[in-house]
Amino acid sequence: MLKVDGITKYYGDFLAVDHLSFEVKPGEIFGLLGVNGAGKTTTFRMIMGLLEPSSGNITLNGKKIDYSVTDEIGFLTEERSLLTKLTVLEQCIYYGTLKGMTKEKIISRLKELLARFEISEYIDKPIKQLSKGNQQKVQFITSIINEPKLLILDEPFSGLDPFNVELFKAEIKRMSEAGSMIIFSSHRMEHVELFCKKLVIMLHGRPVIEGYLHDIKEQYRKKNIFIRADINPEDLKQIEGVVSVDVRPDEMEVKIRDNEVIQKVFEVVSKKAKNVLKFVVEEPSLNEIFVEKVGEEYDK
Amino acid sequence: MTNNQHKPNKFWFLVGMSLKRKIKTKWFLWANILIFIAIACAFNIDHIIEAFGGDFNQKETIYVIDKTNMGVSDVFKQQLELTNITLQAKDQKIVTNELQDNEKKEDSDYIVKTYTKSEQEAKKLMKKDKHNYVMIFEEDAEQIIKTTLITKDYLQTTDLQVLTQAINSTKMAVAIANSNIPVSELEKIYSQAKIEREILTKDKTAQAEGTEMIMSTVFPVVILPFFMLTIFLVQMIGAEVNDEKTTRGMEIIISNVSPKQHFFSKMVAGNAFILIQGALLIIYAIVGFVVRLILGGGNPLGGMGSSFTSVIDALRVSGVLDKLIYIIPLTLILMIVTFIAYSLLAGILASMTTNIEDFQQLQTPIMIISLVGYYLAILANVFGGSIFIKILGFVPFISAILSPSLLVIGQFGILEVIISIILVIITNYLLIRYGLRIYKVGILNYSSEGLWNKMLKALKG
Repeated sequence: MLKVDGITKYYGDFLAVDHLSFEVKPGEIFGLLGVNGAGKTTTFRMIMGLLEPSSGNITLNGKKIDYSVTDEIGFLTEERSLLTKLTVLEQCIYYGTLKGMTKEKIISRLKELLARFEISEYIDKPIKQLSKGNQQKVQFITSIINEPKLLILDEPFSGLDPFNVELFKAEIKRMSEAGSMIIFSSHRMEHVELFCKKLVIMLHGRPVIEGYLHDIKEQYRKKNIFIRADINPEDLKQIEGVVSVDVRPDEMEVKIRDNEVIQKVFEVVSKKAKNVLKFVVEEPSLNEIFVEKVGEEYDK
Repeated sequence: MTNNQHKPNKFWFLVGMSLKRKIKTKWFLWANILIFIAIACAFNIDHIIEAFGGDFNQKETIYVIDKTNMGVSDVFKQQLELTNITLQAKDQKIVTNELQDNEKKEDSDYIVKTYTKSEQEAKKLMKKDKHNYVMIFEEDAEQIIKTTLITKDYLQTTDLQVLTQAINSTKMAVAIANSNIPVSELEKIYSQAKIEREILTKDKTAQAEGTEMIMSTVFPVVILPFFMLTIFLVQMIGAEVNDEKTTRGMEIIISNVSPKQHFFSKMVAGNAFILIQGALLIIYAIVGFVVRLILGGGNPLGGMGSSFTSVIDALRVSGVLDKLIYIIPLTLILMIVTFIAYSLLAGILASMTTNIEDFQQLQTPIMIISLVGYYLAILANVFGGSIFIKILGFVPFISAILSPSLLVIGQFGILEVIISIILVIITNYLLIRYGLRIYKVGILNYSSEGLWNKMLKALKG
C-alpha cells in the first residue's frame, strides 16, 4: 500500500504542498487532480523520491521510498520523457535497465507490449520518426515495462486519438486487476470518473476535495435534470431551488439545488409540458464539481 | 521482478549508454573522417603541394653562360653553394661552424650548369620550367664582370638575396685571382672568419635558442590535441545532460539512479570518450605517417629532412630530450586530473542550464580559460621568468598546459608540477563535494528564474 501521510513541501518561502494525505491500496486507481500549479508534479516527485518532503512521510508497503524500491515503481510524466534520437528498442532497454531488468527480459516484455499496442513494426525506428500518439504509446510502455507495483500516470492520454485511448484504458484496467496501485492525473474529468474510485482535488497545494468519488458526488447536493418536452423554460426557472436552465437544441438541462427540488420540477413538467419524451435525473459530473469547487477556492 | 542476482550494474550501464549515444552518431563518424583527413594531409603536406604542381622541394637550375673566358662559371658555383648553406643555417638559428662537403651538395637549393649554347636557346629552357634561370656573365670595357639574370617570373626575395651575394663574392674572387696575389695570401682571404660568440644574457645560450624553437614549433602541436579534447569533453557532457533535461528523461533517470551516480557516470563516460578520441587521433597520426612512408618511398622525412633534423637537434641541444622521462608522465597525470576537473565543471554547469543554448553561453568562459592556457603555454618563453606567469602555472584548468610548458623551458621544476597536480586534485575534490549539491538541485530545475539564488542555496546544503 502507498501511504502519503501529511506531506508538506516548501520551496524557500513558497508552500507547494500543504498537509496532503491519501492511501492507495493494491488494485486501486487513485485520482490526483488539480489546476496547473496545484502541486501535483511536486507530489509525484516526492512519491518518486526525487524530492524530500519538508514534513510528513511517504511509504510504499511500509518502507520509505528510496532507490531500493524505485525498481517497483513506474512513472509516466506529463511531458515526453523520451530521448528521441534513440530507437524504441534502445529507449526501452535504457529505462528498463534502470529499473533493474535484464536485457533479455526487457526485450521479451517489450515485444509483448508493442504487439498489444499495435506498434511492433516500430521497434527499430528512432523515436523522433514516430507520430505524437505512437511516441505516447512508447512512453507508456517504458513506464510499465517493469510491471510496476506502483504506477504514476500524469496525463496518460495526452496526444491520443479515441481509438488509442481505449487501448490505454484496457491496459490500465489490466494492471489494476493484476494488483498494481495506480495514481492517475488528468485534466479530462471523464477519464478520472471512469477509472478512479478515490481521488483528491488540489488547489494551491491544499486538498480541497478528497475521498471516494461516490461519496463526493453524494455530498455534492446539486443534481441535473435532463428534459425533452415542449415546455416554456421560464416555467422551470420560476421553481424555487432551480439554479439554472440551459436550453439545448434537443433538450433542456436543469440544475437544481438538491434532491428535494426534483419533485417540484416533475410536477411542473407533468402539468405544463406536452410531448414529454425524457425526464432523467443525473448526478453532477466530476467536471462540474471540479469547476465549482476549484472556482470557489481559486478566487480566495 | 528480476532476480537480484541478475540485476545489471546501473552505473556502468549509464556510462556505456552515454558512450554509445555519443559514438553511434553519424556526426561522430563524419567528424572523425574529417579529422583523419586533416591529420593525414598535415603529415603529407609536402607531397600534396607537389601533387598539385607545387614547388615545396623543387631545386632551381641556373644555366650559366660565361662570355668572360675567365672561368667565372665554376667560381660562381662554389660561391653559390657556400652562400646558400650559410643563409640556410642562419635561418634555422643553429650555427654550425664548419660545413661539410657532402652537406653542401645535399642541402643546396640550386643546381648550376654551364651552358654553351646561345642566349636564345637558354631562354627556351625557361619556358619549359619556371625553375630554370639563365645567368650571363660578361666583361665590360673596364674588364669588370657584368651579370644579367633572366627568369620567367619574379624571384623570391630569398633566392635574389642568395644569388646577389654569390655574384658579389664571385666578382671579388675573380678580381683577387686577377691581381696576382700569392697563394698563401689568397688562402687567408678565402678562409672563413671565426666568430666567437659571447652572450651576456646568460639564458640566451644555444640551449635557450633550442628551447625557443621547440616552444614555437613542437609544443603548439603537442598541446593542441589536449585543447581539442577539452572542447569535445565539455561539449559532450553539456549536450548529454541538457538532452536528458529538455526531454524530461532526467526525471525517469533520476528516479532510478541517484544524482551522484548520474553525475559520476557522465564524468567517467566523458573521460572515456576523450580517451577513445585521443587514441583515434594517435591512430590517424600513425596512418598519416605510414602514408608518408609509402609516398616517400620508405623515407619518412622526404623533402622535409632538414626541418626534422633541426627539430631533433633543438630537442637535443635544449636538453628537453633528456627531460622527457619525467616531462611525459607528469604532463599526462596533470592532463588526466585536469580532464576530470573540466568534466566535473561541465556537468555542474550543464545541470544549471535549462537548454543547450544556455549551456553554450555558460561554457564560453571555460573555453576562454582553456584558450588562455593554450596561448600562455605557447608564449611562456616570451614572458621569460615572469612571476605572474609562474603563478598562473599553478592555477587549475590553465596549469594542464602552462605548467608542462614552464617545465620544458626550465622555469618549473618537478616539484612545481607536482604542486600543480595536487592543486587540481584538491579542485576536483571541492567540485565533487560542493558541485554535487548544485547538480542534485540543478538537474531537476527547469526554470532559469532565480537560478543563482537556487544554486547558492543548494551550495549551502
